[in-house]
Amino acid sequence: MTAAVLVSVVDDDESVREALPDLLREFGFAVQSFASAEEFLASGCVDETRCLVLDIVMPGMSGPDLQRELTRRSQPLPIVFITANEDSTACTRVMDAGAVSCLIKPFSEAALLHAVTKAIQAR
Amino acid sequence: MALHVAPAERVPGIRPDYLLIADCIPGLIGITGPDGAVESCNRAVLEYYGVTLEAIQGWASSKLVHPDDIPGMIAKQKRSLETGERLLSEIRLLRADGVYRWFQIHGEPLRNSRGEIVQWYVLQTDIDDRKCAESLLAGEKRLLEMVALGRPLHEILNSLCAFVETTVPECQCAVFPIDRREQRFDKGFAPSLGTAYTGPLEGVPVVPASAPCGAAATHQTQVIAFDIESDPRWLASSYREHALAFGLRAVWSTPIVSRSGEVLGTFAVYQRHPGSPTQIQRDLIAQFTHIASIAIERTQSEETLDKLRSDLAHVARVTTLGALTASIAHEVNQPLAGIVTNASTCLRMLAADPPNIEGARETARRTIRDGERASEVITRLRALFSKKTTTTGSIDLNEAVREVVALSMSELQRQGVTVRLELFPDLPPVKGDRVQLQQVILNLLLNASDAMGTVVDRPRDLVIVTASDGADVHLSVSDSGIGFDGGNPEKLFDAFYTTKSDGMGIGLSVSRSIMERHGGRLWATPNDGPGATFWFSIPQVLQARRRTG
Repeated sequence: MTAAVLVSVVDDDESVREALPDLLREFGFAVQSFASAEEFLASGCVDETRCLVLDIVMPGMSGPDLQRELTRRSQPLPIVFITANEDSTACTRVMDAGAVSCLIKPFSEAALLHAVTKAIQAR
Repeated sequence: MALHVAPAERVPGIRPDYLLIADCIPGLIGITGPDGAVESCNRAVLEYYGVTLEAIQGWASSKLVHPDDIPGMIAKQKRSLETGERLLSEIRLLRADGVYRWFQIHGEPLRNSRGEIVQWYVLQTDIDDRKCAESLLAGEKRLLEMVALGRPLHEILNSLCAFVETTVPECQCAVFPIDRREQRFDKGFAPSLGTAYTGPLEGVPVVPASAPCGAAATHQTQVIAFDIESDPRWLASSYREHALAFGLRAVWSTPIVSRSGEVLGTFAVYQRHPGSPTQIQRDLIAQFTHIASIAIERTQSEETLDKLRSDLAHVARVTTLGALTASIAHEVNQPLAGIVTNASTCLRMLAADPPNIEGARETARRTIRDGERASEVITRLRALFSKKTTTTGSIDLNEAVREVVALSMSELQRQGVTVRLELFPDLPPVKGDRVQLQQVILNLLLNASDAMGTVVDRPRDLVIVTASDGADVHLSVSDSGIGFDGGNPEKLFDAFYTTKSDGMGIGLSVSRSIMERHGGRLWATPNDGPGATFWFSIPQVLQARRRTG
């Protein structure tokens, strides 16, 4: 597995930003985490990011908002959405808009690895 | 009245027609010396006390007065002697048959030329029946007041028994409510006989053979056992032995019947000697059986109402929480995801070569933290969903607000609502049921969020404010939603009034009744700008002054 592949995590929940990057690093990815969509857009990591792990519900700019913004900027990143809401319509909507996966919390490490790998290969 | 004795023979020196008048007056008339010693009297006096004139002459009148009434009478006599005022008092006098009866005493002093009192002319009027009626009325009034004030049933029925026992000499009483579903006697009340008597009768089935009370309840008629020892109806019943062990012989049982004709229980009157009730006793029993029926019926309807209220509050709570399902799932799933992620990382760190012990320790710590977070959510939920009866305690409303907001945060975020808390620091505690108050707060929160559901041209702001004015704690929930549409805000609190397509319209009505039962209020006002504000106030717990230093 290539160590240079960057996965970015955007979630307003601090415990997610603690836990998820550690696991992704164990998988062998490089990881950057951000507390909001705005922070990610301003970070300069957008171009480098090979897979975006993105929360759906966030204060301010939401996950789907960011997805639309990236499309508008013609920077369509492969996105793995994660959500703690068992709201299938939200998942369907982001998948229709081109997301690679939509994981409902809690998800297994296998599901995560599968989704992220699929996203990186999709590029 | 036929006068057999020619008055002239009795009291020489007094015109016979005056004596005739005195003898014919329906009252006791006497003449005493200045010291109260009897000098002369009319015929009614002699008949009442059952003595001859010779015997009564020279008696101190106090000999005939009830011992309890003597001090008051002496004080009044003394005052009348000093001031020369008419003597007026109410005392009990001993009749020939040993019964004391109430009399109203009028005494007029006769003075000599020097103004000294030489004699008292005394008229004694029998007011015993009136007194009885007065005391009965007072007793009835007191019992009905207890019913109206919602005193506990056992207190009312014990007072009722005690009152009847003081009113009817030589009797003892008991009230036995009936569990109508089980058709068994409930715990009985007999203050003078005690639980040793009522205890073994609890749970006895309501059948005629069990006891006179069973027969009275079954046949809905008064049952008089002249002597329980020899009464053939209960010779084989274990109740007979029980009653005899307490020295009871006469047992009179009267069914207590509700307005709708249901038997609510029985009222039992006992005597320690065989006997049947007199007409007066029967009337008394009827009167107090009626009061017992009012007390039992009222208490039962209160209980039913309380249960309905609590059921409705529970339904409203579950309905409200139903709207939070997604939010609740979010609150639980979030830490669960953390647990799974952290535990997976931990295993991987341990399996590495060499194992990353420090990293594994850190992720294990996070796993525990997330587990605790999940369990806190469950604890909060369990408290809100539970159907326990009201528990009253001291509550920090700020804390209660924070918990409710934590549970509903994800739902509010999903609705695009921004929540701002302006919580009064050092908010004094209030007294009440935490779950019910949180139910009210949650309801206001979700209503506010719903009211902003269609708002697109302005921020969906929800502000929760707590404050204290020294007497009450206030809480308000403001939204920037659609408001009341110019309507009467009071209508919102009517049961089954709703502006939502999926609402039952019980949330605000139940919320208001919860606040009222906490001694507080709940109301709504339109905002100056868009939206509405809901307020509640609740008396704060008086705090001991804080020590300084």
